[in-house]
Amino acid sequence: MLLDRVLDIIWVFAPMSLLSFGGGQAIIPEMQHKTVDIHHWLDGKTFADIFGLSRAAPGPSTLIVALIGWQVAGFAGALAATIAIFLPSSLLLYAVSTWWTRNPDSPMREAVDRGLAPVATGLFFAGPVVILQSAHAGWFEMATTASVCAILFVTRAGPYAIAMSIVAIYSLCYAAFGAAIF
Amino acid sequence: MEASQPDKPEPQDSVPAPPVVGPVVGLWELFFAFFRLGLMTFGGAVQSWLRQDIILRRKWVDEDAFVTGLSMATVLPGANPVNMSLYLGMRIRGGIGGAVAVVGIVLPAFCIILLLGLAFHRLIGFPIVHFVLAGLAASGVGVTFFTALGVAKRLPRDMFNIVIGVLVFVASAILRLPMVPIVAVSVPLSIGYAYFQVKRARDAA
Repeated sequence: MLLDRVLDIIWVFAPMSLLSFGGGQAIIPEMQHKTVDIHHWLDGKTFADIFGLSRAAPGPSTLIVALIGWQVAGFAGALAATIAIFLPSSLLLYAVSTWWTRNPDSPMREAVDRGLAPVATGLFFAGPVVILQSAHAGWFEMATTASVCAILFVTRAGPYAIAMSIVAIYSLCYAAFGAAIF
Repeated sequence: MEASQPDKPEPQDSVPAPPVVGPVVGLWELFFAFFRLGLMTFGGAVQSWLRQDIILRRKWVDEDAFVTGLSMATVLPGANPVNMSLYLGMRIRGGIGGAVAVVGIVLPAFCIILLLGLAFHRLIGFPIVHFVLAGLAASGVGVTFFTALGVAKRLPRDMFNIVIGVLVFVASAILRLPMVPIVAVSVPLSIGYAYFQVKRARDAA
């Protein structure tokens, strides 16, 4: 019974792992379709809630699958979903990366290196723009984004310092001015 | 745990040029470096903090290798932060290093997201939680922009590269086209052009 559900989870997420071109965001619509419309593991509202949660949690946002797995089969489901979504793509990258280090002089390697860089850069710039749009960021968030970017140009602040400052500043502003400034 | 299967690196020992570059780093040291990044990187900014910490601060991997890894991690399927950790871990300590880095980056986030999931309905009742989370996401966007500028600065000043980069950005961020057609069109075009250039340069030399 539990095993059946765990196998279902693996069967749904493992193929998605190899379809997630450009990162986890690409498979969110497919994930919603499979888990909500086809398997009825959770309803649309719950999916939207845990999507927001996965964006707020640290680390890769693809970990939304852990929450879906948890809904279906508890801890075993969360673990199975996480392994299923990360392992196939990791094996592929492992294979490509190994080929890479073994063929340092191949003209194809140099071409792939040079050719992928502009595509990756375009996608990398697109990521934050898409996040800002989908979060309906207001002026306070925009100012936060600009300040963090500027701070990194002049200091080598780490993730702890930035995250703690954000929590402190946002809490203080909320305490002082309420929701009006956001 | 998650990626324990991919670490069967025996054949790598016979490679003439070892894949490991930079200083030798202990596996625990490697694990904790990725673990603390997995704990504190919000707003889709994992790769950017990897650059700040692993490349700029600890200097375990050089910046050119980072750009190569970013290209691979972004274009190949898979969560980009996990791909990037696997790639960097492999550069630092081979296959086992890749597995350790992936577990390090995923484990804290896996635990936190399950705890948040348990507490979610209680937490979401406080409006301040929304504001702080939005702020963390916005700061993640800031560090991602910073990294994107750093990566763009290292690209060769080549008109074709710039056009490809801008078109991919417009297709993804503004037209919101799905990833598969963007990658399917831009990658062969860009690699084909680069291959032609590499061939010509090598034939001339």
